[in-house]
Amino acid sequence: MLKDITIGQYYPGRSFLHRLDPRTKIICLFLYMVGLFTVKELQSFSYVLAFTAVIVALSGVPLKTLAKGLKPMWLLMVLTLILNFFMTSEGVILWQWRFLKISEGGILKGIFMVVRLALLLNVTALLTLTTTPILLTDGLERIMKRCFIPMAHELAMMMTIALRFIPTLIEETERIMKAQIARGADFETGGLMAKAKSLVPLLIPLFISAFRRADDLAMAMEARCYRGGEGRTRMRQLRYQAGDGGAFIAVFCFLVFVIIDRFWLKLFV
Amino acid sequence: MNNLNNIGDQEQEQPVEQLIEQTMGEQPKPEARSHWLTRAAMVAAIYAALTVALAPISYGPLQFRVAEAMTVLPWLYPEAVPGLFVGCLVANFFGGNGLLDIVFGSLATLAAALLSRRIKKPWLVPLPPVLINAVVIGAMLSYVLGLPFLLTAAEVGLGQIGSCYVLGLPLLFFLKRMKR
Repeated sequence: MLKDITIGQYYPGRSFLHRLDPRTKIICLFLYMVGLFTVKELQSFSYVLAFTAVIVALSGVPLKTLAKGLKPMWLLMVLTLILNFFMTSEGVILWQWRFLKISEGGILKGIFMVVRLALLLNVTALLTLTTTPILLTDGLERIMKRCFIPMAHELAMMMTIALRFIPTLIEETERIMKAQIARGADFETGGLMAKAKSLVPLLIPLFISAFRRADDLAMAMEARCYRGGEGRTRMRQLRYQAGDGGAFIAVFCFLVFVIIDRFWLKLFV
Repeated sequence: MNNLNNIGDQEQEQPVEQLIEQTMGEQPKPEARSHWLTRAAMVAAIYAALTVALAPISYGPLQFRVAEAMTVLPWLYPEAVPGLFVGCLVANFFGGNGLLDIVFGSLATLAAALLSRRIKKPWLVPLPPVLINAVVIGAMLSYVLGLPFLLTAAEVGLGQIGSCYVLGLPLLFFLKRMKR
Protein backbone atom coordinates (compact mmCIF):
# COMPACT_ATOMS: atom_id res chain seq x y z
CA MET A 1 0.00 0.00 0.00
CA LEU A 2 2.62 2.52 1.06
CA LYS A 3 5.02 1.61 -1.76
CA ASP A 4 2.68 3.13 -4.35
CA ILE A 5 3.42 6.63 -3.05
CA THR A 6 5.47 8.76 -5.43
CA ILE A 7 7.08 11.99 -4.41
CA GLY A 8 7.56 14.64 -7.02
CA GLN A 9 5.47 13.04 -9.77
CA TYR A 10 7.98 14.27 -12.36
CA TYR A 11 6.65 13.92 -15.89
CA PRO A 12 9.67 13.42 -18.19
CA GLY A 13 9.74 15.57 -21.32
CA ARG A 14 11.58 18.19 -23.38
CA SER A 15 8.88 20.84 -23.54
CA PHE A 16 9.45 24.60 -23.21
CA LEU A 17 8.50 24.46 -19.52
CA HIS A 18 10.76 21.45 -18.89
CA ARG A 19 13.73 23.35 -20.33
CA LEU A 20 13.20 26.50 -18.26
CA ASP A 21 15.57 27.22 -15.38
CA PRO A 22 14.04 26.06 -12.04
CA ARG A 23 14.61 29.57 -10.61
CA THR A 24 12.54 31.06 -13.44
CA LYS A 25 9.73 28.61 -12.75
CA ILE A 26 9.69 29.29 -9.00
CA ILE A 27 9.74 33.11 -9.42
CA CYS A 28 7.14 32.99 -12.23
CA LEU A 29 4.89 30.77 -10.09
CA PHE A 30 5.10 33.36 -7.32
CA LEU A 31 4.22 36.21 -9.74
CA TYR A 32 1.36 34.16 -11.22
CA MET A 33 0.00 33.54 -7.72
CA VAL A 34 0.10 37.27 -6.92
CA GLY A 35 -1.85 37.86 -10.16
CA LEU A 36 -4.34 35.10 -9.32
CA PHE A 37 -5.09 36.58 -5.89
CA THR A 38 -5.43 40.09 -7.35
CA VAL A 39 -8.44 38.96 -9.43
CA LYS A 40 -11.69 39.67 -7.63
CA GLU A 41 -14.36 39.04 -10.30
CA LEU A 42 -15.40 35.58 -11.47
CA GLN A 43 -15.60 36.79 -15.08
CA SER A 44 -11.98 38.03 -14.95
CA PHE A 45 -10.92 34.40 -14.63
CA SER A 46 -11.61 34.10 -18.39
CA TYR A 47 -8.25 35.67 -19.29
CA VAL A 48 -6.50 33.98 -16.35
CA LEU A 49 -7.83 30.65 -17.67
CA ALA A 50 -6.64 31.51 -21.19
CA PHE A 51 -3.14 32.34 -19.85
CA THR A 52 -3.10 29.14 -17.79
CA ALA A 53 -4.18 27.11 -20.85
CA VAL A 54 -1.15 28.48 -22.73
CA ILE A 55 1.13 27.45 -19.83
CA VAL A 56 -0.40 23.94 -19.77
CA ALA A 57 0.02 23.64 -23.56
CA LEU A 58 3.67 24.73 -23.26
CA SER A 59 4.33 22.16 -20.53
CA GLY A 60 3.45 19.17 -22.72
CA VAL A 61 1.82 17.52 -19.69
CA PRO A 62 -1.42 15.70 -20.67
CA LEU A 63 -4.61 17.07 -19.08
CA LYS A 64 -5.30 13.58 -17.72
CA THR A 65 -2.09 13.68 -15.66
CA LEU A 66 -2.96 17.14 -14.35
CA ALA A 67 -6.48 16.05 -13.43
CA LYS A 68 -5.03 13.00 -11.62
CA GLY A 69 -2.99 15.37 -9.48
CA LEU A 70 -6.17 17.18 -8.42
CA LYS A 71 -7.89 13.92 -7.42
CA PRO A 72 -6.85 13.92 -3.72
CA MET A 73 -8.16 17.48 -3.44
CA TRP A 74 -11.68 16.94 -4.78
CA LEU A 75 -13.09 16.51 -1.28
CA LEU A 76 -11.61 19.87 -0.26
CA MET A 77 -13.11 21.49 -3.36
CA VAL A 78 -16.58 20.03 -2.81
CA LEU A 79 -16.43 21.10 0.85
CA THR A 80 -15.37 24.63 -0.13
CA LEU A 81 -18.19 24.82 -2.67
CA ILE A 82 -20.88 23.61 -0.26
CA LEU A 83 -19.72 25.72 2.70
CA ASN A 84 -19.57 28.84 0.53
CA PHE A 85 -23.08 28.11 -0.83
CA PHE A 86 -24.55 28.08 2.65
CA MET A 87 -22.36 30.63 4.41
CA THR A 88 -22.71 33.53 2.02
CA SER A 89 -26.05 35.27 1.67
CA GLU A 90 -25.81 38.02 -0.92
CA GLY A 91 -28.28 38.98 -3.64
CA VAL A 92 -31.39 37.00 -4.52
CA ILE A 93 -32.22 34.05 -2.23
CA LEU A 94 -32.77 31.02 -4.49
CA TRP A 95 -33.62 28.35 -1.91
CA GLN A 96 -34.40 28.38 1.79
CA TRP A 97 -35.18 25.77 4.42
CA ARG A 98 -35.28 27.00 8.02
CA PHE A 99 -31.90 28.64 8.65
CA LEU A 100 -30.27 27.12 5.58
CA LYS A 101 -30.36 29.25 2.46
CA ILE A 102 -28.63 29.42 -0.89
CA SER A 103 -28.24 32.80 -2.52
CA GLU A 104 -27.01 33.93 -5.91
CA GLY A 105 -23.96 35.57 -4.27
CA GLY A 106 -23.15 32.33 -2.41
CA ILE A 107 -23.16 30.28 -5.61
CA LEU A 108 -20.94 32.82 -7.40
CA LYS A 109 -18.53 32.99 -4.45
CA GLY A 110 -18.38 29.17 -4.19
CA ILE A 111 -17.57 28.80 -7.88
CA PHE A 112 -15.01 31.65 -7.67
CA MET A 113 -13.18 30.00 -4.75
CA VAL A 114 -13.14 26.55 -6.36
CA VAL A 115 -11.89 27.87 -9.73
CA ARG A 116 -9.13 29.85 -7.98
CA LEU A 117 -8.12 26.84 -5.87
CA ALA A 118 -8.05 24.57 -8.94
CA LEU A 119 -5.88 27.07 -10.84
CA LEU A 120 -3.53 27.46 -7.87
CA LEU A 121 -3.15 23.71 -7.41
CA ASN A 122 -2.73 23.06 -11.14
CA VAL A 123 0.01 25.60 -11.68
CA THR A 124 1.89 24.51 -8.53
CA ALA A 125 1.58 20.92 -9.79
CA LEU A 126 3.02 22.00 -13.15
CA LEU A 127 6.16 23.16 -11.35
CA THR A 128 6.75 19.74 -9.79
CA LEU A 129 5.64 17.90 -12.94
CA THR A 130 8.16 19.68 -15.16
CA THR A 131 11.10 19.96 -12.72
CA THR A 132 13.04 17.09 -11.16
CA PRO A 133 13.23 17.31 -7.34
CA ILE A 134 17.02 17.74 -7.53
CA LEU A 135 16.78 20.69 -9.94
CA LEU A 136 14.03 22.19 -7.81
CA THR A 137 16.27 21.99 -4.74
CA ASP A 138 19.16 23.56 -6.68
CA GLY A 139 16.89 26.39 -7.79
CA LEU A 140 15.58 26.94 -4.26
CA GLU A 141 19.13 27.03 -2.89
CA ARG A 142 20.17 29.71 -5.39
CA ILE A 143 17.05 31.79 -4.67
CA MET A 144 17.55 31.48 -0.90
CA LYS A 145 21.20 32.55 -1.26
CA ARG A 146 20.10 35.60 -3.29
CA CYS A 147 17.57 36.47 -0.58
CA PHE A 148 20.35 36.21 2.07
CA ILE A 149 18.50 33.43 3.90
CA PRO A 150 20.97 31.94 6.43
CA MET A 151 21.96 28.27 6.04
CA ALA A 152 20.70 28.16 2.43
CA HIS A 153 23.14 25.41 1.49
CA GLU A 154 22.36 23.32 4.57
CA LEU A 155 18.59 23.62 4.01
CA ALA A 156 18.94 22.64 0.35
CA MET A 157 21.21 19.72 1.27
CA MET A 158 18.63 18.56 3.84
CA MET A 159 15.96 18.71 1.14
CA THR A 160 18.09 16.64 -1.23
CA ILE A 161 18.84 14.00 1.43
CA ALA A 162 15.20 13.94 2.54
CA LEU A 163 13.99 13.42 -1.04
CA ARG A 164 16.49 10.62 -1.49
CA PHE A 165 15.45 8.86 1.71
CA ILE A 166 11.66 9.21 1.52
CA PRO A 167 11.18 5.99 -0.54
CA THR A 168 13.63 4.13 1.73
CA LEU A 169 11.78 5.25 4.86
CA ILE A 170 8.41 4.36 3.36
CA GLU A 171 9.74 0.85 2.72
CA GLU A 172 11.11 0.77 6.25
CA THR A 173 7.74 1.87 7.66
CA GLU A 174 6.05 -0.97 5.82
CA ARG A 175 8.59 -3.46 7.17
CA ILE A 176 8.18 -2.20 10.76
CA MET A 177 4.40 -2.31 10.37
CA LYS A 178 4.54 -5.96 9.31
CA ALA A 179 6.97 -6.79 12.15
CA GLN A 180 4.71 -5.15 14.73
CA ILE A 181 1.60 -6.86 13.32
CA ALA A 182 3.48 -10.18 13.66
CA ARG A 183 4.04 -9.27 17.34
CA GLY A 184 0.32 -8.61 17.78
CA ALA A 185 0.04 -4.88 17.10
CA ASP A 186 -3.33 -3.72 15.77
CA PHE A 187 -3.38 -0.75 13.37
CA GLU A 188 -6.83 -1.32 11.90
CA THR A 189 -9.49 -1.52 14.61
CA GLY A 190 -10.65 1.02 17.17
CA GLY A 191 -11.61 4.68 17.02
CA LEU A 192 -9.48 7.58 15.86
CA MET A 193 -7.75 7.89 19.25
CA ALA A 194 -6.93 4.16 19.40
CA LYS A 195 -5.62 4.26 15.83
CA ALA A 196 -3.47 7.30 16.61
CA LYS A 197 -2.05 5.64 19.72
CA SER A 198 -1.31 2.45 17.79
CA LEU A 199 1.08 4.47 15.63
CA VAL A 200 3.49 5.09 18.54
CA PRO A 201 5.10 1.58 18.27
CA LEU A 202 5.56 2.34 14.59
CA LEU A 203 7.12 5.78 14.99
CA ILE A 204 9.71 4.88 17.62
CA PRO A 205 11.53 2.10 15.68
CA LEU A 206 11.28 4.31 12.60
CA PHE A 207 13.15 7.12 14.41
CA ILE A 208 15.79 4.76 15.71
CA SER A 209 16.44 3.26 12.29
CA ALA A 210 16.38 6.68 10.56
CA PHE A 211 18.86 8.15 13.07
CA ARG A 212 21.13 5.17 12.60
CA ARG A 213 21.03 5.74 8.85
CA ALA A 214 21.75 9.44 9.46
CA ASP A 215 24.89 8.62 11.43
CA ASP A 216 26.10 6.20 8.73
CA LEU A 217 25.45 8.80 6.06
CA ALA A 218 27.29 11.49 8.04
CA MET A 219 30.29 9.22 8.33
CA ALA A 220 30.20 8.53 4.58
CA MET A 221 29.98 12.27 3.87
CA GLU A 222 32.89 13.06 6.17
CA ALA A 223 34.95 10.30 4.56
CA ARG A 224 34.36 12.12 1.24
CA CYS A 225 35.52 15.40 2.82
CA TYR A 226 32.15 17.11 2.96
CA ARG A 227 32.72 20.57 4.42
CA GLY A 228 29.46 22.42 3.79
CA GLY A 229 28.64 24.79 0.95
CA GLU A 230 31.84 26.84 0.96
CA GLY A 231 33.91 26.27 -2.16
CA ARG A 232 31.58 23.54 -3.35
CA THR A 233 31.36 23.05 -7.11
CA ARG A 234 28.53 21.56 -9.16
CA MET A 235 28.44 19.15 -12.03
CA ARG A 236 25.35 20.82 -13.49
CA GLN A 237 25.49 24.63 -13.54
CA LEU A 238 22.26 26.60 -13.66
CA ARG A 239 22.29 29.24 -16.43
CA TYR A 240 19.49 31.47 -17.66
CA GLN A 241 18.64 31.02 -21.38
CA ALA A 242 16.65 33.14 -23.82
CA GLY A 243 13.47 31.19 -22.99
CA ASP A 244 13.75 32.27 -19.33
CA GLY A 245 13.70 35.93 -20.41
CA GLY A 246 10.58 35.25 -22.49
CA ALA A 247 8.86 33.51 -19.56
CA PHE A 248 9.66 36.40 -17.20
CA ILE A 249 8.32 38.97 -19.70
CA ALA A 250 5.10 36.96 -20.30
CA VAL A 251 4.31 36.48 -16.59
CA PHE A 252 5.22 40.09 -15.79
CA CYS A 253 2.87 41.33 -18.56
CA PHE A 254 0.13 39.06 -17.20
CA LEU A 255 0.58 40.47 -13.69
CA VAL A 256 0.57 44.09 -14.92
CA PHE A 257 -2.59 43.42 -16.99
CA VAL A 258 -4.38 41.84 -14.00
CA ILE A 259 -3.49 44.82 -11.77
CA ILE A 260 -4.54 47.37 -14.42
CA ASP A 261 -7.82 45.50 -15.00
CA ARG A 262 -8.58 45.23 -11.28
CA PHE A 263 -7.98 48.89 -10.40
CA TRP A 264 -8.52 50.91 -13.63
CA LEU A 265 -9.91 49.03 -16.62
CA LYS A 266 -12.52 46.97 -14.73
CA LEU A 267 -13.41 45.05 -17.92
CA PHE A 268 -15.91 42.75 -16.25
CA VAL A 269 -17.46 44.95 -13.54
CA MET B 1 31.18 -19.95 9.27
CA ASN B 2 30.77 -20.36 13.01
CA ASN B 3 32.33 -16.97 13.60
CA LEU B 4 29.94 -15.36 11.16
CA ASN B 5 26.97 -16.90 12.92
CA ASN B 6 28.23 -15.63 16.26
CA ILE B 7 28.52 -12.07 14.95
CA GLY B 8 24.90 -12.18 13.82
CA ASP B 9 23.79 -13.48 17.22
CA GLN B 10 25.64 -10.75 19.06
CA GLU B 11 23.94 -8.10 16.96
CA GLN B 12 20.53 -9.59 17.58
CA GLU B 13 21.06 -9.87 21.32
CA GLN B 14 22.13 -6.23 21.74
CA PRO B 15 19.72 -4.69 24.30
CA VAL B 16 17.35 -2.11 22.87
CA GLU B 17 18.31 0.56 25.42
CA GLN B 18 21.97 0.26 24.45
CA LEU B 19 21.06 0.52 20.79
CA ILE B 20 18.95 3.62 21.37
CA GLU B 21 21.70 5.26 23.40
CA GLN B 22 24.13 4.55 20.61
CA THR B 23 21.90 5.91 17.92
CA MET B 24 20.03 8.74 19.58
CA GLY B 25 21.42 9.38 23.05
CA GLU B 26 24.53 11.31 22.12
CA GLN B 27 24.32 14.82 20.80
CA PRO B 28 26.64 15.43 17.85
CA LYS B 29 29.74 17.44 18.70
CA PRO B 30 29.74 21.06 17.49
CA GLU B 31 32.29 20.31 14.79
CA ALA B 32 30.34 17.34 13.51
CA ARG B 33 28.27 19.42 11.15
CA SER B 34 27.43 16.51 8.89
CA HIS B 35 25.88 14.56 11.78
CA TRP B 36 23.63 17.48 12.59
CA LEU B 37 22.74 17.89 8.92
CA THR B 38 21.94 14.24 8.21
CA ARG B 39 19.85 13.84 11.37
CA ALA B 40 17.86 16.95 10.47
CA ALA B 41 17.44 15.57 6.94
CA MET B 42 16.11 12.27 8.32
CA VAL B 43 13.58 14.12 10.49
CA ALA B 44 12.54 15.98 7.32
CA ALA B 45 12.30 12.72 5.38
CA ILE B 46 10.12 11.03 8.03
CA TYR B 47 7.85 14.10 8.24
CA ALA B 48 7.42 14.27 4.47
CA ALA B 49 7.03 10.50 4.06
CA LEU B 50 4.32 10.26 6.73
CA THR B 51 2.48 13.31 5.36
CA VAL B 52 2.53 12.19 1.73
CA ALA B 53 1.80 8.53 2.54
CA LEU B 54 -1.34 9.58 4.43
CA ALA B 55 -2.16 12.33 1.89
CA PRO B 56 -5.97 12.50 1.98
CA ILE B 57 -6.02 13.27 5.72
CA SER B 58 -2.82 15.37 5.76
CA TYR B 59 -4.05 18.44 3.86
CA GLY B 60 -7.00 20.81 3.92
CA PRO B 61 -9.11 22.27 6.74
CA LEU B 62 -10.16 18.88 8.13
CA GLN B 63 -6.58 17.65 8.43
CA PHE B 64 -5.04 15.11 10.80
CA ARG B 65 -1.34 15.18 10.02
CA VAL B 66 0.22 12.23 11.82
CA ALA B 67 3.66 13.73 11.10
CA GLU B 68 2.76 16.74 13.29
CA ALA B 69 3.40 14.44 16.28
CA MET B 70 7.06 15.01 15.45
CA THR B 71 6.77 18.67 16.44
CA VAL B 72 7.71 17.53 19.98
CA LEU B 73 11.18 16.48 18.76
CA PRO B 74 12.87 19.94 18.99
CA TRP B 75 12.50 19.76 22.78
CA LEU B 76 14.95 16.84 22.83
CA TYR B 77 16.89 17.28 19.61
CA PRO B 78 17.83 20.78 18.38
CA GLU B 79 18.51 19.48 14.86
CA ALA B 80 14.81 18.69 14.54
CA VAL B 81 14.05 22.45 14.22
CA PRO B 82 15.41 22.82 10.66
CA GLY B 83 14.39 19.21 9.97
CA LEU B 84 10.72 19.89 10.60
CA PHE B 85 10.87 23.10 8.54
CA VAL B 86 12.39 21.30 5.54
CA GLY B 87 10.05 18.30 5.97
CA CYS B 88 7.01 20.55 5.92
CA LEU B 89 8.41 22.40 2.89
CA VAL B 90 8.93 19.15 0.96
CA ALA B 91 5.53 17.72 1.99
CA ASN B 92 3.69 20.89 0.98
CA PHE B 93 5.61 21.22 -2.29
CA PHE B 94 4.38 17.82 -3.43
CA GLY B 95 0.78 17.85 -2.33
CA GLY B 96 -0.30 20.95 -0.46
CA ASN B 97 -2.65 23.80 -1.26
CA GLY B 98 -0.26 25.54 -3.60
CA LEU B 99 2.40 28.14 -2.98
CA LEU B 100 0.70 29.82 0.01
CA ASP B 101 0.71 26.52 1.90
CA ILE B 102 4.37 25.96 1.00
CA VAL B 103 5.44 29.34 2.39
CA PHE B 104 3.11 29.84 5.37
CA GLY B 105 2.78 26.18 6.37
CA SER B 106 6.53 25.74 6.57
CA LEU B 107 7.11 29.05 8.37
CA ALA B 108 4.40 28.17 10.90
CA THR B 109 6.09 24.83 11.57
CA LEU B 110 9.46 26.57 11.98
CA ALA B 111 8.05 29.13 14.42
CA ALA B 112 6.31 26.38 16.41
CA ALA B 113 9.50 24.29 16.53
CA LEU B 114 11.56 27.26 17.76
CA LEU B 115 9.00 27.97 20.49
CA SER B 116 8.68 24.30 21.52
CA ARG B 117 12.42 24.22 22.04
CA ARG B 118 12.22 26.99 24.66
CA ILE B 119 9.36 25.51 26.69
CA LYS B 120 10.27 24.08 30.10
CA LYS B 121 7.34 21.76 30.95
CA PRO B 122 7.05 18.69 28.69
CA TRP B 123 3.23 18.66 28.64
CA LEU B 124 3.26 22.20 27.23
CA VAL B 125 5.62 21.29 24.36
CA PRO B 126 2.83 20.39 21.85
CA LEU B 127 1.01 23.67 22.58
CA PRO B 128 2.94 25.98 20.15
CA PRO B 129 2.33 23.74 17.12
CA VAL B 130 -1.37 23.55 18.01
CA LEU B 131 -1.83 27.30 18.50
CA ILE B 132 0.46 28.59 15.75
CA ASN B 133 -0.90 26.19 13.13
CA ALA B 134 -4.51 26.88 14.12
CA VAL B 135 -3.95 30.64 13.69
CA VAL B 136 -1.61 30.69 10.66
CA ILE B 137 -3.03 27.75 8.65
CA GLY B 138 -6.55 28.71 9.74
CA ALA B 139 -6.03 32.27 8.43
CA MET B 140 -4.46 31.01 5.20
CA LEU B 141 -7.24 28.48 4.51
CA SER B 142 -9.86 31.07 5.39
CA TYR B 143 -8.32 33.41 2.78
CA VAL B 144 -7.82 30.76 0.08
CA LEU B 145 -11.17 28.96 0.53
CA GLY B 146 -13.27 32.00 1.49
CA LEU B 147 -14.51 30.39 4.72
CA PRO B 148 -14.89 32.02 8.19
CA PHE B 149 -11.57 32.18 10.07
CA LEU B 150 -13.01 30.73 13.30
CA LEU B 151 -14.26 27.64 11.43
CA THR B 152 -10.98 26.87 9.65
CA ALA B 153 -8.87 27.69 12.74
CA ALA B 154 -11.03 25.42 14.94
CA GLU B 155 -10.82 22.55 12.42
CA VAL B 156 -7.04 22.83 12.02
CA GLY B 157 -6.62 23.27 15.80
CA LEU B 158 -8.64 20.12 16.56
CA GLY B 159 -6.59 18.07 14.10
CA GLN B 160 -3.41 19.45 15.63
CA ILE B 161 -4.55 18.57 19.18
CA GLY B 162 -5.14 15.02 17.93
CA SER B 163 -1.73 14.58 16.37
CA CYS B 164 0.39 16.67 18.78
CA TYR B 165 -1.18 15.65 22.11
CA VAL B 166 -2.58 12.14 21.48
CA LEU B 167 0.39 10.97 19.42
CA GLY B 168 3.14 13.51 20.11
CA LEU B 169 3.07 13.58 23.91
CA PRO B 170 3.46 9.78 24.43
CA LEU B 171 6.25 9.89 21.84
CA LEU B 172 7.96 12.70 23.77
CA PHE B 173 7.77 10.87 27.11
CA PHE B 174 9.10 7.68 25.57
CA LEU B 175 12.00 9.41 23.83
CA LYS B 176 12.78 11.39 27.00
CA ARG B 177 12.95 8.20 29.05
CA MET B 178 15.15 6.55 26.44
CA LYS B 179 17.48 9.56 26.27
CA ARG B 180 18.03 9.42 30.03
